[in-house]
Amino acid sequence: MSAPQRRTDIGPPHYKDFLPPVIQKNYGDWKYHEVLNAGVMVHVANSGDKIWSVRVASPRLLSTDTIRDMADMAEKYCGGYIRFTTRNNVEFLVSDEKNLTPLQNELKAKKYMMGGIGSRISNIVHTQGWVHCHSACTDASGLVKVLMDEFADYFTTKETPNKVRLAVACCVNMCGAVHCSDIAVVAIHRKVPVVVDHDKVKNMCEVPSTIAACPTGAISPDPAKKSVKVNADKCMYCGNCFTVCPPMEIHDPENDGVAIVVGGKVGNLRSNPKFSKLAVPFIKNNPPRWPEVVTVVKKILDAYLADAKKHERVGEWIERIGWEKFFKVTGLPFTFQHIDDFTIARETFRTAATFKW
Amino acid sequence: MPKKYETPLLDELEKGPFPSFVTEIKKAAARSDMAADELGQLEKSYRDKRGYWKHGGIVGVRGYGSGIIGRYSSLREQFPNVANFHTVRINSTSAFFYTSQFLKEMCDIWDQYGSGLTNLHGSTGDLVLLGTNTENLEPIFAEFSSRGWDLGGSGSAMRTLSCCVGPARCEWSNINTLDINYNLTQEFQDEMHRPAFPYKFKIKTAGCAVDCIASIARADLSIIGTWKGKIAVDQSEVANYAKKGMNITEEIVNMCPTKCMSYDGSKLTINDADCNRCMHCIAKMTKALKPTGEKGATILMGSKAPFVIGATLSWVIVPFMKLEEPYDELKDLIRKMWEFWDEHGKNRERIGELVIRKGMREFLEFIGVEPVPQQVKEPRRDPFFFWTEADLQK
Amino acid sequence: MEKAEVAQKIYELVEKSIGKKKLKSSDIQKQISADCGISRDEVKEALKDLVDEGKLIYTYFGGSFVEIPPKE
Ligand code: HEM
Ligand code: HEM
Ligand code: SF4
Ligand code: SF4
Ligand code: SF4
Ligand code: SF4
Repeated sequence: MSAPQRRTDIGPPHYKDFLPPVIQKNYGDWKYHEVLNAGVMVHVANSGDKIWSVRVASPRLLSTDTIRDMADMAEKYCGGYIRFTTRNNVEFLVSDEKNLTPLQNELKAKKYMMGGIGSRISNIVHTQGWVHCHSACTDASGLVKVLMDEFADYFTTKETPNKVRLAVACCVNMCGAVHCSDIAVVAIHRKVPVVVDHDKVKNMCEVPSTIAACPTGAISPDPAKKSVKVNADKCMYCGNCFTVCPPMEIHDPENDGVAIVVGGKVGNLRSNPKFSKLAVPFIKNNPPRWPEVVTVVKKILDAYLADAKKHERVGEWIERIGWEKFFKVTGLPFTFQHIDDFTIARETFRTAATFKW
Repeated sequence: MPKKYETPLLDELEKGPFPSFVTEIKKAAARSDMAADELGQLEKSYRDKRGYWKHGGIVGVRGYGSGIIGRYSSLREQFPNVANFHTVRINSTSAFFYTSQFLKEMCDIWDQYGSGLTNLHGSTGDLVLLGTNTENLEPIFAEFSSRGWDLGGSGSAMRTLSCCVGPARCEWSNINTLDINYNLTQEFQDEMHRPAFPYKFKIKTAGCAVDCIASIARADLSIIGTWKGKIAVDQSEVANYAKKGMNITEEIVNMCPTKCMSYDGSKLTINDADCNRCMHCIAKMTKALKPTGEKGATILMGSKAPFVIGATLSWVIVPFMKLEEPYDELKDLIRKMWEFWDEHGKNRERIGELVIRKGMREFLEFIGVEPVPQQVKEPRRDPFFFWTEADLQK
Repeated sequence: MEKAEVAQKIYELVEKSIGKKKLKSSDIQKQISADCGISRDEVKEALKDLVDEGKLIYTYFGGSFVEIPPKE
């Protein structure tokens, strides 16, 4: 069988072709929405028309079998219309109210997990990990699975003071908004890259661009070997050199693991967008279920649930109680790693004599 | 029949209520040799606590320099079916709306030519087809493009754009996010498919300051809808919220960052002159409060992950721009930014890093944007600033 | 200048820089438009033809470059 005629530079199809008729009709003319339960919300247009969205979790990594199954249900109950969210959830777009209950029944019967709407834990933004990326110091999909198993109730029913946005990145490249999440897991290296075979550097790498790739100026030429050397005092294990010069091996199963960062957000509501900050500098990889990571994230979440005011995000809660209190109520140790010594260090030092004891 | 691997470690990840990615891989592995070897290799990664993927040769489709990411197993003897196992990035639809018909066609093509595994979606927003051999790339591209679908971006190119659900299903959108997303994608096809930038360039569009697409955290160009007029208050709906148990003083008035609201037990008053349009009150009382007046967007630039200079959030370039089709002002601005980057950027230098290196003044002068207070949190604190000859004449 | 001639110049430039410096598309555009006194768009068009014909390819190695495809 020969392939059809290829075309280039056509871009994606027009979005209008994928909008349910009720959305086409009321486009840009919505009045309000209501969260009916964790898995269902309804949007009401100024015309009085309604559209219901039924949200289910997905592991993001989907087989064609599951996609076909979802497409079948969309056909049966939604006129074929379905969308995905930024956080890897799936939304069935129901235009006819009488399809709402049968759809939910079928989803329940098939063990799809409905939820994620409102002040809850939604799905976890994450990256490729060992499934498909060469830089990974951990597996993102596995961490997502064990965390969401633990917090499943907060997706399907229980409420949190405000939305809690989790993220997992499997290396410091952080493909995803890890650096601005309520609680995030980011995988890190802890040892300087090792050049095992200097001939490989000679053959595979441009020495000037390898040196230029290092943000801390830790790399210098090694003219005798026609290679490079690393100043261990300056290196901060970012792996940037490895990216441009593969023989600078940085993977190390014994010393790679994850850090936990907290208190970031992207929305502007109440307070400006914030970066996540370091809570736990290192936890060893312990696949397949990373129990130590789950315990720490749970500890942080529990402290937030116990103490936060309604509508406070994790970062806002921490700002109110102060970082010294955060470490106290979570029982997490404060270490030298918590004090910044990278590019913006100065701005993070406390320049006031005001503490909460 | 594909090879069957023992996977005691991964099997542990089929337990528990959350849908399992291992189950997904196993479903595909029941019929695809590639997916079977992916599963086998992943089990080994779990055992050895390290990944086994690497780069190798150059792959792509004819004429394009992006859209395909080459991926090779470093254990090719052991897992020959993933010896090469490339990613295909398909440019998604605006706000990820699909029809079942398209999804099924996509599945048919992918089962025929690939592993049957996907990511819906990658964090940039591509529809990611996860894993196929080199010889399948051209047929896959022909199958998709003949049906009206194109590849997304990768490498030093404009990446696949993404936007929030906006006017399609959200009452708060100040701009037509889906259309901006689509229109810019079509305008810049060459920049997406033939990498000519110093590094990647991402554009993300959110309809309001809630920023559901996280544009402020992960886009070289962040477009965030806003408005200039007052917040209209429907007092009877305010009363309804109160009746349903909302503590308006605690939850709304006291949480307003600018302290511009008051509530006397029956009437909610907003001093609009002090409101900074953070969206908190509107998001919590959507039936009662509505932005009015002129709508547009704030244009920000420069956010990226921490590599090289530390993480950055996007910062304001133009505080308010009207965005209406054909978006010429925005397109001109984007082209100017690219020109600056093209002239001064080093290989692998994001545009935000360049602007920090060169200084905002040089950048703003180049793109023709005047300095305004909205671009800074506060003016500088030191007296060490430069004067040009032209400044001295003023 | 004929497009084919521009294409020839581009190819020679890429060939000459093998082993010295990997060229980005923008390097080529800047160099050839200056050398030949033509617009960058004209260079881009000729480069597009070369890539469409498979005489040059885009490569990725910590940034995207234009190179001559490896001999099998
Ligand atoms: C310097 C920063 C970054 C580097 C060096 C980097 C590197 C990579 C690499 C090597 C991959 C290949 C993974 C694979 O598919 O096998 C990848 C994938 C990807 N990256 Fe990044 N990345 C960076 C930042 C980002 C950011 C900030 C985002 C999000 C906005 C992002 C979004 C993606 C997406 C969507 C993929 C496809 C796979 C996935 O969904 O995980 N990247 N990136
Ligand atoms: C083990 C050594 C290497 C590492 C660690 C590495 C790292 C990376 C990183 C971090 C990215 C993401 C950059 C980005 O998306 O902006 C990337 C992308 C890529 N690399 Fe490598 N690279 C390596 C060697 C190679 C080699 C030898 C080739 C091919 C000859 C190659 C081809 C590619 C391609 C085609 C992409 C996809 C471009 C994209 O989607 O951005 N890499 N690599
Ligand atoms: S975060 Fe790192 S390891 Fe994970 S997909 Fe991105 S580049 Fe790969
Ligand atoms: S890991 Fe990062 S800091 Fe260390 S030498 Fe490499 S580039 Fe420099
Ligand atoms: S960013 Fe604003 S307009 Fe867009 S979907 Fe979110 S709340 Fe709605
Ligand atoms: S939008 Fe924000 S600043 Fe404005 S009145 Fe509402 S809560 Fe206050």
